Amino acid sequence: MGTVANEVIKPVKVERKLSFKGVITNEYFLYVVSFVSFIAIWHFVAKAQLLGKSLATPWEVIKELGRMTQTTLAGKTLWGHIWASTRRILIGFTLGAVIGVPLGLFMALNKYVNAVVKPIFDLFKPMPPIAWISIAILWFGIGEPSKIFIIFIGSLVPCLLNSYNGIRIIDEELYDVVRVLGGNRRDEILQVSFPAAFPALFAGLQISLSIAWTCVLAAELVSARSGLGWIIIRGMKLTKPELVLGGMAIIAIVAMGTTLLISGLEKFICPWKRGIEGL
Amino acid sequence: MAGENKNYKIVCENVSKAFIQKGTQRVHVLEGISLEVKNNEFLVILGPGQSGKTTLLRIIAGLETPTEGRIFLDDKKVAGPGQDRGLVFQTYMLFAWRTVMGNVEMGPKLRGVSKAKRREIAQHYIDLVGLTGFEKHYPHQLSGGMKQRVGIARAYANDPEIMLLDEPFGQLDAQTRYFMEKETVRIWEAEKRTVIFVTNNIDEAVYLGDRIITLKGKLPGKMDSAYKVDLPRPREHTDMQFLELRQRITDATQLTL
Repeated sequence: MGTVANEVIKPVKVERKLSFKGVITNEYFLYVVSFVSFIAIWHFVAKAQLLGKSLATPWEVIKELGRMTQTTLAGKTLWGHIWASTRRILIGFTLGAVIGVPLGLFMALNKYVNAVVKPIFDLFKPMPPIAWISIAILWFGIGEPSKIFIIFIGSLVPCLLNSYNGIRIIDEELYDVVRVLGGNRRDEILQVSFPAAFPALFAGLQISLSIAWTCVLAAELVSARSGLGWIIIRGMKLTKPELVLGGMAIIAIVAMGTTLLISGLEKFICPWKRGIEGL
Repeated sequence: MAGENKNYKIVCENVSKAFIQKGTQRVHVLEGISLEVKNNEFLVILGPGQSGKTTLLRIIAGLETPTEGRIFLDDKKVAGPGQDRGLVFQTYMLFAWRTVMGNVEMGPKLRGVSKAKRREIAQHYIDLVGLTGFEKHYPHQLSGGMKQRVGIARAYANDPEIMLLDEPFGQLDAQTRYFMEKETVRIWEAEKRTVIFVTNNIDEAVYLGDRIITLKGKLPGKMDSAYKVDLPRPREHTDMQFLELRQRITDATQLTL
């Protein structure tokens, strides 16, 4: 074709020379500096016992974690405890998403569903999920179901709210496009409502997941014989700061892993979305 | 009645529109609009903001129903949107989750055209609007002018007999706008359709239209006057006759250049 749009996108590779200023202003170099300084300061604060005996050095934490992968605590190795917490999260979070997302979508698409569900939902929405712990234990006992129930309640709310709002904020004119092109109501929902709501829906899943981690820890702190929350409590009772800190570090790493999993899923399903860096 | 309109592609008969706001208030947007458009004619509707020109276009597209009056396409009364009319939106309204190809092939896809066939149709119009090579780009990777090219290709790919364009270049900078006006004429001459083009820009109206109908502003919008543009194409913005017509319209309306 003769004519082309008056703009072309070209990939450009920027070559940079190695220089002292280039190295110290390199963001990856600064990441390393930042991380190493944090570990170093931690090490010296612990070594000098500035906080008494209640802070373990990084190396002690790593040693403790290494030991735990070999020996058992309450019948489980570290891997067993990680799996105990992760399993609760996966079941509770999946239940919350499987019920919350479709319910939110239906509420946004059908005013009658909305009119029936919204008043009840609004009543329960502001209640922190942890407020459910006691009643959950009364209903389901101290076993797995009560923990899963709390995670389910915690995950349900953001999933439902975000899928609901994801559809509500869609520009009405996008539906006009489908109608002008000859589509019906079903096409409007399939071609506009669902894909346009995906980014908000995934944001809801991310929030749900971080709430799910809060919930599982709270539940395990109250009553449990396994899980990462229980490890932390155990460390406190035994006055072993390396166990507490080790548990905290593992929680951060595993939670980061599950978050990355959802981000990866979103990138796969919504390739059109510009990534939000640093979240 | 309708039989009299044989020579015209589109006939608007005394169209009025009032919206009801907050239950009781009626807002009159259009009053007594009557116009005819010939087959393959390029009609420009020129009016200031708040003259109801977008509403008129949406009524012809079938997205709104007139409070009074009727619209005929080929002697058939308009009731709802249809494949015979394509609409290009002021704010592009592209599907952000679909590539250029995905956007352009949407019309045939909704009509159940097979994948191979609709790809072929879409590719033809992507080439026509000059976006060859950008098929796999998402809308957010395109500039404003390119986005509207996708909007035009998407409307064309549904094979309408009538193209309705609602201030399609209102959001573009002056340079891109001139360029897109040229492109509009090129595309229209390559694939003739009956066009109704809505704008508030006199220069654009004179450059594009076979005929210009002006609307009087503040709501409700009413018919003002009609101008025949008898200038050969391609037109020059600095041509004497061009400038004279532009001045005539400027003097007769509240619009400023």
